Amino acid sequence: MIDREEKETFRSAQDIINQLSVILRNAQIHNPWNIAVTTAIEKFIALISHLTTGGKTITLELIGEYFYCDDVRVRYSLEHLLNFDYLVREFKKREIGGIVILDGIKLQDVQVFLKAFIASGFSTSPYETIYEMMSDVEKIRVDMLKKIKDGEQEDTRKIIKKVYYNAVSFSRGVMKKIKAGEKVSIRKAKRIVEQMVDHLLEEENLLIGMTAIKDYDEYTYHHSVNVSILSVALGQRLGLNKKMLTELGLVALFHDIGKIDIPSEILNKASSFTEDEWKLMKRHPVWGVRALLKLKGFDQTAIRSSIVAFEHHMSFDLTGYPRVRRYSELDLYSRIVSVVDQYDAMTSARVYSRIPLAPDKALSIMMERAGKQLDPLLFKFFTNMVGIFPIGALVMLDTRELGLVYESDLVFPDRPRIMIIVDHKGERLTKGPVVSLTEKDESGNYYRSVVRTLDPNKYKINLAEYLI
Amino acid sequence: MEISEEIREAKDILQNLIKAKKNIRMYPENNPIYIRTLEDAYARFTGYLDYRDEFKLQIRQHSICHETEEIYSNPEKEDNLALFFFKDGLRELTFKKGLTRDELEEFLKIIAREFEREEIDDDVVTLLWERDFQNIHYVVDEAFLVDIDEEDYETRAERQVKEQATDVNELMKAYTDGFQEDDRQEISVVPLSDKDLQMLVRELEKDSAGKLEKLISILFELVYLSERQAEVNETFQFIRDAISLCIRHGDLVLVGQIMRRARDIMEEPSLKESGKDYYRILSQHLGQQEVVGHLAEILDSTLEIDPQVYEEFIGFLDKNAIRPLIQYLGELKTVRARKHVIDALIVLGKKDIESIAKGLEDQKWYLVRNIIYILRKIADRRATEYLLRTVRHSDIRVRKEGIKALGELGGQEVIQTLRECLDDADPEIRMAAARSFGTIGTEVAKKIILEKISNKTFREKDFEEKKAFYEILARWKDQTVFDFLMTALRKKTFFGRARNEENRACAAFALGLLGMNDALPELHAVKESGSDFLKDFVHAAIRKLEHDR
Repeated sequence: MIDREEKETFRSAQDIINQLSVILRNAQIHNPWNIAVTTAIEKFIALISHLTTGGKTITLELIGEYFYCDDVRVRYSLEHLLNFDYLVREFKKREIGGIVILDGIKLQDVQVFLKAFIASGFSTSPYETIYEMMSDVEKIRVDMLKKIKDGEQEDTRKIIKKVYYNAVSFSRGVMKKIKAGEKVSIRKAKRIVEQMVDHLLEEENLLIGMTAIKDYDEYTYHHSVNVSILSVALGQRLGLNKKMLTELGLVALFHDIGKIDIPSEILNKASSFTEDEWKLMKRHPVWGVRALLKLKGFDQTAIRSSIVAFEHHMSFDLTGYPRVRRYSELDLYSRIVSVVDQYDAMTSARVYSRIPLAPDKALSIMMERAGKQLDPLLFKFFTNMVGIFPIGALVMLDTRELGLVYESDLVFPDRPRIMIIVDHKGERLTKGPVVSLTEKDESGNYYRSVVRTLDPNKYKINLAEYLI
Repeated sequence: MEISEEIREAKDILQNLIKAKKNIRMYPENNPIYIRTLEDAYARFTGYLDYRDEFKLQIRQHSICHETEEIYSNPEKEDNLALFFFKDGLRELTFKKGLTRDELEEFLKIIAREFEREEIDDDVVTLLWERDFQNIHYVVDEAFLVDIDEEDYETRAERQVKEQATDVNELMKAYTDGFQEDDRQEISVVPLSDKDLQMLVRELEKDSAGKLEKLISILFELVYLSERQAEVNETFQFIRDAISLCIRHGDLVLVGQIMRRARDIMEEPSLKESGKDYYRILSQHLGQQEVVGHLAEILDSTLEIDPQVYEEFIGFLDKNAIRPLIQYLGELKTVRARKHVIDALIVLGKKDIESIAKGLEDQKWYLVRNIIYILRKIADRRATEYLLRTVRHSDIRVRKEGIKALGELGGQEVIQTLRECLDDADPEIRMAAARSFGTIGTEVAKKIILEKISNKTFREKDFEEKKAFYEILARWKDQTVFDFLMTALRKKTFFGRARNEENRACAAFALGLLGMNDALPELHAVKESGSDFLKDFVHAAIRKLEHDR
């Protein structure tokens, strides 16, 4: 039956991509005729052949950071994460956008492909090299990496902006409703988070970019949404499934709900807190549990949300607050939320020392806290996600251009996409071009590299002007 | 106007969908109607999709269209399929060629749910989203997620964020500083290793465990962190809710943990005397009708229950659990469940005999019999006054159990009633009463049994009854009984010889049980005389005595 075949294809796609990665890794150590490589190739052909029999073809395409098999996005499990990442990186490096495999593929075809693939890694025009070397191979076709069209990007950006502001508006509504003793719709909250999950799965960078805009409305509202978005993004890196991501997004959205009991004049105070005010602030995890259990009773979401609301300031080594008597360790979701909560709080105004930190500076402080306040493993995943230069970071380039980090790069964490805001002549650009630091010139050298970072807050740069 | 074949088919599919929505909700998966409904719906979909790539429905508030043609319309609020989809923001539904039976079944299960009545946090769209169907696509209008007074939030927020325009001079200062300042933070992204992934896998495995235990720990921390009495009260309300949830999930281990921690709280100096009250509140909560109802369900299920855990659980119950436990005892289906409840009532009954005894008034004979059993096991003479009435119950099984219980309780008060039972019209009652006298085992009891056996009418009883009486008499291993039995063994008559032979056989049988070897010469003397019937019993008695010697 057709449907069964389609399902089979979908399941097999994961294995195919994984096996392709295995072959390429092997081929970089041994030559394509080595027994280890040929055995891996034979397994690859076996996986492919039953899907291409009867003259069918199979297309593996790289779009953004994800592979698609015959137009269906291939979701991968955690065990395949490294192989998938490797393949994305190697494809991008060679400007390969996809490969089409035809029925009747032979061992020799794959060997030629491997030879071309390896050679192209040393070429200044890798795609042309691979294309040329494979001109005699009929059963494998290699396509060039497609650039995402600006128009499409703009539309997506608008949708994502809407999703983001809907979420902030909802978060605002929740706080107001709880204060007024009204009922809060968890169904709506779920739908909001589901939208965020969908967009994070498809266009992670854009939604994460929105979290860099912070100076509007009350801090608590957008902070809750930011923590939710960043938690889901991190959860995605950890291999959580869609349902778990929704749960994580939801609990993260409610992590600060206990703050509704703190007077707004304290919450929004412009100066530092007094000792008594701090004492009050430190009660919010306890109040959060009470608010959530009163709101929802004892269902799965309420239980998990309450745990996170209680634990998110307790610290990985349990030295934070609230102080507890008998406790083992923090819940996984609490540790995720702790990491992103600290990051978003540090890079926002009106918390801690009341001076927001530059994203990279915040990361460097957090690095010192890893293992003590923060889970070191999750922090490692987090830095791999946001990169050395997180979105919103102000960077000076070796081309004498000043830019803002616009999007991070999944494969090259130190080479994000940058929006140029001052050009090499020292002239201000209101909406400058967005360039990728992975771009190279003909001799294989990068066009642009970061030479130093600056604190955007120090120069009162309004990120919103550029990022939305 | 003639309706096209396609529209006719579309209408047909939709009508079938409405029928399927009801049937899938009403019948279990193995029911023939469920199976037929699914087969039928699938056949209609595949029939349509065999010739077309997709089946698309446009959803409006009160109607559903296909190819701009209205194929469903309903102005009502109830049972309105269009409104059912529309209210959650669903605006278009498309079933693609390749739709599988499993997908359709899952879809039908989603739409069959009663979202208004069931306490679930998911709507139709969330459930469709979670299933991630390959061949069922949908379009959603998310506008309804935003409250009306928040509709222009995006515009307002965007205006606000852009209000503070970047100062050109500041920007240029940043540019200039970029050439001088060197405050780059040295951080590096360490690539993820296989070891990291292995650690993560372990974390995720650990995370799959239930979270209620963790929340309970938090709730107890909340007790210690409370600053006001009202907060402590509220927290104990949460703990009560947690207990209810544990019971619903059949997690008696966790209930045990809660109660143990609650017991520890009694020692908490900050709570002073109220600590004991809180423990009592939780203990009484366990005995609430609803909680006991859930417990009964668990006990009646196939869920494995650790005997030690259950024993500890019983210990946490308070007297208030007695009434609902008795009620459910009469409703439970399995022997295992009844045994568990009886065990609980035996423990609880020691604290409140009267409440247990109320169960004797129930209409169900088997429940009354169980209550008598419980009172018997409690072995408290305060139960006598209630048990005395049971010997007059309409059901003989209850009467027998009552007599047995009275025998075990003993005491002066039971003698007269049991004595009356010895004259009952039913031989089973008479024998039960005799056994009870045997259990009582006093001289008075012996005397009563001896009197009964000595009575002229006794020899007219059935052999089985006589044998039972003699057997009971043999429990008193004394000279009086020995002499009595020897006399009976030797007794010969001209009239009613057969009856007398029966009596002698019973005496021989009892002498065997009595275990006094002095009886052997007489038994040997008798063994070759009399009927075969008597001989058999005498031989058996001799064998027994010689064997036990």
